[in-house]
Amino acid sequence: MIDSLKELINSISSPSFFLTLSIILLGVSLYFKQFWTRRSLGIAAAISGGLFLFSVTDENFREIVAKPDNLPIIALLFLVGFFTWLSLHLAFDNDRRKAAGEPILEKQETLPKTFVWPDLVYIEFIALIVCTVVLIVWSVLLKAPIEEPANPADSPPSTKAPWYFLGLQEMLVYFDPWIAGVVIPSIIVLGLMAIPYIDRDVKGSGYYSFRERRPQILVFLFGFSILWVFLIILGTFFRGPNWNFFGPYEFWDVHKVVLMNNVNLSEFIWVRGMGIGLPRNWLVREIFGIVLLLGYFAVPPYLLARGWFRSYYEKLGINRYLLMMFLLLSMLALPIKMYLLWIFNLKYIVSIPEYFFNI
Amino acid sequence: MKKLFTVKNTQIWKSIFRHGPPEDRRNRSLAVLANVFLHLHPVKVRSSSIRLRYTWCMGGLTFFLFLVLTVTGILLMFYYRPTVEYAYGDIIDLREQVPLGAMREIHRWGAHAMVISVWLHMFRVFMTGSYKPPREFNWVVGVLLLVLTLLLSFTGYLLPWDQLAMWAVTVGSNMARATPLMGTEGPGTALLVLGDVKLVHAGNDARFFLLAGRFVGAATLLRFYVLHCIAIPFVASILMAVHFWRIRKDGGISGPL
Amino acid sequence: MWNVGSFLRVEKGFQMAEKSDSKPEITRRGFLSWVRAGWIAFTAAAATGSLSAFRFMFPNVLFEPPQIFKAGFPSEYADGMVDTRWKEKFRVWIVREGNLIYALRSVCTHLGCTPNWLSTEEKFKCPCHGSGFYISGINFEGPAPRPLERVRISLAEDGQILIDQTQIFQQEKGQWSNPESFLII
Ligand code: HEM
Repeated sequence: MIDSLKELINSISSPSFFLTLSIILLGVSLYFKQFWTRRSLGIAAAISGGLFLFSVTDENFREIVAKPDNLPIIALLFLVGFFTWLSLHLAFDNDRRKAAGEPILEKQETLPKTFVWPDLVYIEFIALIVCTVVLIVWSVLLKAPIEEPANPADSPPSTKAPWYFLGLQEMLVYFDPWIAGVVIPSIIVLGLMAIPYIDRDVKGSGYYSFRERRPQILVFLFGFSILWVFLIILGTFFRGPNWNFFGPYEFWDVHKVVLMNNVNLSEFIWVRGMGIGLPRNWLVREIFGIVLLLGYFAVPPYLLARGWFRSYYEKLGINRYLLMMFLLLSMLALPIKMYLLWIFNLKYIVSIPEYFFNI
Repeated sequence: MKKLFTVKNTQIWKSIFRHGPPEDRRNRSLAVLANVFLHLHPVKVRSSSIRLRYTWCMGGLTFFLFLVLTVTGILLMFYYRPTVEYAYGDIIDLREQVPLGAMREIHRWGAHAMVISVWLHMFRVFMTGSYKPPREFNWVVGVLLLVLTLLLSFTGYLLPWDQLAMWAVTVGSNMARATPLMGTEGPGTALLVLGDVKLVHAGNDARFFLLAGRFVGAATLLRFYVLHCIAIPFVASILMAVHFWRIRKDGGISGPL
Repeated sequence: MWNVGSFLRVEKGFQMAEKSDSKPEITRRGFLSWVRAGWIAFTAAAATGSLSAFRFMFPNVLFEPPQIFKAGFPSEYADGMVDTRWKEKFRVWIVREGNLIYALRSVCTHLGCTPNWLSTEEKFKCPCHGSGFYISGINFEGPAPRPLERVRISLAEDGQILIDQTQIFQQEKGQWSNPESFLII
């Protein structure tokens, strides 16, 4: 009974399943504010705790989860979950207060200002002690691991980047290194820096609120919790040897064979679509992909500026608007490419190996 | 109690603390103003913004973890030698031969914790909209600190010189080979030729710059060691000073208008 | 005294205060040309300094295995076999198919891990991200964007195989037809 349940979970697990699930979960939970009450935190904690306890009885699951280096990632999972809940709990609470004409949480103090000594210093002091105790207990209980000495001739069967870069490593499945390793990190860093220069509205600064900042929070949660944290979780617990995908209760078999026959867009069109071979000249060969790519970055901003995003366009001005659209489209490009690979086995949209230029 | 009182009346005590016990407004102000560490803070702060539920104390914890890592890192440096012959053995010794030896553990788990806390801090700042004017620049400084935190962690990853370290860094740094125009396998690099000579090759590209060699080897270990122990902490400290200074200059921790 | 405005005015090209006495004095124009020279010198020095710091980070001497080595006699290599004896030290495989011998770099074209030759499955398999290559080096599965690279192979005067890793031949560029990328015996 339990075994067949595990079997079932293993067989429906896949990156596409988990990604779709987490996107739906995020969307649904933001739609219903009941998700962000104390009670649903309790329910969520109970469910995930129960699921965890159930899973820990499984040998394969335990083997991966109990690795000392994976502990911080379990902590990350629960901490991000908790703090997402906390911030949205406070945000919805404030929204309700505003609607009811009450003062928001941040405006309830009897004295607007207070002395650093003792009020802040004591908080810091307590936080510091708690942090020290946690760290020391953790360090005494759990030895930091070490593996075999380095050997350049022998790649171990599951080579993973440090855990905080596993999101990037997952992107390597869908993009070439120059995109996943150079372009995307640069866009993430520059995009983060650009945030305050795009979203300049002073309203909504200094307190939690969802209603007043809905689009910003949606985009940020999508980028941070799904495209970053979720991919790290996926990379840690579900990517085994050879970066193959394994279900939660599956044994990490080094010899698991996964057929990967991915096809470029050019081949789809020239060979399968038109039935003629690939043209010799790379420009001709890739022209559809190039047009598609340019269109992806040019057409939506243009159409949206006249449609749904008109108010943004008018408020931000052309430069800020284009920057925002570029960043948004770059971010969306990742899930789009993921689904293209899963559904159509599409490898590259533009593939010019002559110049190491593959997208 | 009486004893304590006499201690406080000695010349030594008074030479250190130049004000009375922080029990009234004047002396509470002085407690902050007269102390070089505490005067990172202003004398008074917005009540709402020091609530634990508002900041989660995440920035403070990140800074505290940075200090813990500095101290434990200095201790580790007394024994660790960044060479291919010794590095691995030194780590094994630190791990197994030290009585009460949790130094490596505190350093490693603290590093993990700092990465998490810096993300959560950024998350908090975003969710409270605290990056908005006038705090735009401090947000940018924060993003740089985030990058430096990750780089600190990444350079430290190589130092144990085990299989995990070597291959994680091999995979990680290989992406530098694909830097457009600056890596041997980057898009467009093939166009940078003088006649038959490739201008950018494995012996001078972005990855070579990072690793000080074609492969992860002895020179890489030394390079990462210096980056990890000196160069990045140095830059990060400067940026943290700017970060803290700007918090005050931008009107203190944010709060509703 | 000076102010920015007067700097600008002079920069734009003209007008000097007239000298009233004959004492050799530093004129405004003279002073400015000194400032300019000084500024240029400073910029040049700073640029040279930064450049040398940048160049400093590229080592001149590498402590890595030599790029050129002798790999024994062709008769030591069996037909249809991938020879892994040089992999550890020099990171190349030597493959013999009939009377054709070529040397492949044992560096995955995806992210540079070291693939393994799986003789039962007749393929090179990279443990890092699962790229697979045929014995010829052509990629057929996984994320590797292109085939493994060949290195230059020739016969030395003493009849031994000479491998020169400074020269690389890429299949997708049509370089495998270059006679230096293989050996016929
Ligand atoms: C080494 C890393 C960092 C340290 C030690 C640090 C430290 C701090 C501290 C102690 C505060 C005071 C308020 C609080 O505790 O939340 C603060 C505020 C702030 N931090 Fe950071 N921080 C770091 C990284 C970042 C990052 C990654 C960001 C954003 C991307 C950021 C953006 C800000 C901003 C905008 C404020 C002002 C918030 C407000 O006024 O409410 N910091 N930081």
